[in-house]
Amino acid sequence: MTRARGIRSFLAAAAIVVLACSIAPAQTLHLPPHERIVLKNGLTVLLLEKHGVPLVNISAIVKVGAGGDPAGQEGLATTTAGLLRKGTKKRNAQQFAADLDYIGGEFEAEAGPDFTAVSAEFLTKDLARGLDLFSDALLHPTFPQAETEKFLAQSLDGVKAAKDDPQSVMMAYYSGYLYGAHPYGHSPSGDEVSLKQIQREAVVKFYEANYAPGNTVVAVAGEFDAAAMRAKLEEALGAWEPRAVRSAVMPGVSSSKGKRLLLVDKPDASQTYFAIGNTGVAANDPDRVAIRLVNTIFGGRFTSELNEALRVESGYTYGAQSFFDQRKLPGPFVIFSFTKNETTTPAIDLALQVLAKLHKDGVTQEQLKSARSYIKGQFPPEIETSRQLARTIAMHEFYGLGDDEVNQLEARLDAVTPEIARQVIQKHFPAENLDFVLIGKASAIGPAVQKYAPNQDTRLLSDPGFWPAPAAAKK
Amino acid sequence: MGGSFGGGFMKELRADWIAAAILCASLFAAGAARGQQDYPVSARTLKNGMKVLVQTDHSIPNVALYIFYRIGSRNERPGTTGISHFFEHMMFNGAKKYGPGDLDKVMEANGGANNAYTTRDVTVYQDWFPRSALPLIYDIESDRIRDLSFDPQKVKSEREVVASERRLSVDNENSGVLDEQLWATSYIAHPYQWPVIGWMSDIEHWTMEDLRHHFEMGYSPNNATMVVVGDVSADEIFKLCDTYIEPIPTHAPPPPVTTAEPSQAGERRLVVRKQAELPLLMLGYHVGQSNSPDFYALNILRTILFQGESSRMYQRLVDKDQIALDVSSALEPAFDPTMVEVVAQPKQGVDPQACEKAIYEELERAASTFTTDVELEKAKNIRLVEFYRQVRTINGRANTIGTYEVFFGDYNKLFEAAKNYSAVTKEDVQRVAKSYFGANNRTVATLLPENREKAKQQ
Repeated sequence: MTRARGIRSFLAAAAIVVLACSIAPAQTLHLPPHERIVLKNGLTVLLLEKHGVPLVNISAIVKVGAGGDPAGQEGLATTTAGLLRKGTKKRNAQQFAADLDYIGGEFEAEAGPDFTAVSAEFLTKDLARGLDLFSDALLHPTFPQAETEKFLAQSLDGVKAAKDDPQSVMMAYYSGYLYGAHPYGHSPSGDEVSLKQIQREAVVKFYEANYAPGNTVVAVAGEFDAAAMRAKLEEALGAWEPRAVRSAVMPGVSSSKGKRLLLVDKPDASQTYFAIGNTGVAANDPDRVAIRLVNTIFGGRFTSELNEALRVESGYTYGAQSFFDQRKLPGPFVIFSFTKNETTTPAIDLALQVLAKLHKDGVTQEQLKSARSYIKGQFPPEIETSRQLARTIAMHEFYGLGDDEVNQLEARLDAVTPEIARQVIQKHFPAENLDFVLIGKASAIGPAVQKYAPNQDTRLLSDPGFWPAPAAAKK
Repeated sequence: MGGSFGGGFMKELRADWIAAAILCASLFAAGAARGQQDYPVSARTLKNGMKVLVQTDHSIPNVALYIFYRIGSRNERPGTTGISHFFEHMMFNGAKKYGPGDLDKVMEANGGANNAYTTRDVTVYQDWFPRSALPLIYDIESDRIRDLSFDPQKVKSEREVVASERRLSVDNENSGVLDEQLWATSYIAHPYQWPVIGWMSDIEHWTMEDLRHHFEMGYSPNNATMVVVGDVSADEIFKLCDTYIEPIPTHAPPPPVTTAEPSQAGERRLVVRKQAELPLLMLGYHVGQSNSPDFYALNILRTILFQGESSRMYQRLVDKDQIALDVSSALEPAFDPTMVEVVAQPKQGVDPQACEKAIYEELERAASTFTTDVELEKAKNIRLVEFYRQVRTINGRANTIGTYEVFFGDYNKLFEAAKNYSAVTKEDVQRVAKSYFGANNRTVATLLPENREKAKQQ
């Protein structure tokens, strides 16, 4: 059992894309030099040499995510990604698994709200085989009917299994409540109803419409010679046929007005899980560094004001925190914690008091200084491995950010004053307009939590889908 | 899963450790591996008995510092179960110089972060910080090892924190509930039978006296190993130890745990009925402690059976029969004879016994026929890559070096493991499959979803 990390890792997992917001220690940290090339077929390739451990990581970002799921077929982007390795022109699913495992390789493919990440990692000595597996899956998937059915059936049960762990589905309910019909409003994995609407034809169509060299960034980091790697990538990915892609434009995000509360009933729960907040900011928001600094003070570390109040001083919970999930469009801002049934309202009251205090008092020079040191000191291990480096530069490319995210971070942190922090709090941290999502035992906590919002919604955890109810969504 | 209960973080660490163990072995087998010369360790034992291991790595300007105390829930007794873990929490709640709350505040303000984990065997403290915070970290660590204080108010609120942690990770998580029941059933004599986090009634009843006793028992310098990896030199670390750590007086370590678990002579079964979306299946098989000779062969067998989508169990249960969502196994480091755990998540509408049957058939196949050469080779390759994944961060290295030192008695075993893994043969794999995975040696735990309407009527 861990003292605090268990909780923090929830955040990391929930925020699929915590923008590699970047900070460095002692004015020394820089992203290692890397090279950017565009192949003839339009594929953007980033190369970064990182020596020390004989591993290579190759990470692709295909610029379509769950935000591109057609209404009623939520989970399509995730299904498409998951099936990439389940049958290609050269290999069936079993052969792919056998070839990958034989070299101890890793292959991952996952859709988040904004994009699909496809990556592989293997030893430098297995470069040829590893690249072949990676390009085979990315360029030549065949989506066999039997594998598609198998995958969808597993995904369906995966949603049920996730519901047995309330933490793991909190963001699905919270996003649904906050964003409603907006593409950010559904879980990338889909739900019990939408997954049943997905057919092989839709997967093939989704792949053909979105997976194309001009719509993809590939970052490679690790122990290799960049010139040689460049030639190998040309060979492995240069033959990917260019294809016109209709770039989907997501509608704008509007924040939630007033106070609303969704109570998800888990009749056997002995504790209540709660999420409170509103929409936050985009990944390229000009205030992003100041926001990160203020959020570190408010709910982003062990000694944050939230954790001090809800854990250290009162013992209400094992952990309390807040985060901004920064995306192409404003992602969610959330305050998250959990507490036993009996202390549900005292804990939520306290969280709201801490938020009110942030608005009233702002942050002090001393708090800023401490949070700056913390962010700078904890940043280097964020770009320590080839995998982290590949993902960081690919993400910067996708969000239109540059190396300055890392190289200028310390200077940007140093520039934040209490006055700037005050403005950022006012502008980006919600005060009166709040969405509440609670997962807990309705019969025990329902009456008491009515005080938080005039408008309340209720749903059973075991009801199919998250929020809104799938049937209602179809109307 | 298993030896420790706990959050994802813990599981990650443990999985990595197991991997590392196996890896290093095959790293030599593969012939391409980097070895001890690439990751040199300096060692020194202080006059008070604490062993200090240092590895220099300047790739980032940071340091990972781990302190392993050889005390965990196996050193507890009924009535105070979970006190090792509770004590771990109290180590952050105030000592002589750094009072309640100061430790975290000072550390974070200087760019550092910390955590800790407790298992059945050890309690491990972790600091991650920029090298500029080096002297401060030593000041903090020496303060709490020497002069921990117990503020009654802090004891009270921390009890609630731990109760919340238990509700989070056990009561409201199916795998947590089932894992706890599995160990409580498969062990009847040895202290591995109770959960690391402790029974709720014990969490509610520890006394200040129990805490003081625990401190005196487990927190002697000669019961600890310190591992430092990162942007440091061995000389500067040894100097800091001279100043801050060596003067701390030593005392008697915990009394030996003499209770041996009697061998199991027949299958044990248990059922947990609970509101849930899906059932869950866990199996436990008694095996030896970490430093027993079959450790390497067991890990190779587990890789062939459980690791990757080409593994036998995945191919059989998930891919071919389509009766499970996933199937995995765990074997955690342990001082005393422990268990290999197998977890299967049955699909909706599948009787967990169907998963049981398929698992038994695959175990039987492994016990009755040789594994193929390709499978054996694959298992060694997988371990090799995982070794590099483990040592690619200063944090991973600090944990791995410490784990080898503590559980195998010598950090050099990390490098010798290669030789031991490459020595594993098909015959060894078959032998361990046969000797440990029979029906008489297993405990079967099943979580069955309770019908909601029926639950309401009761």
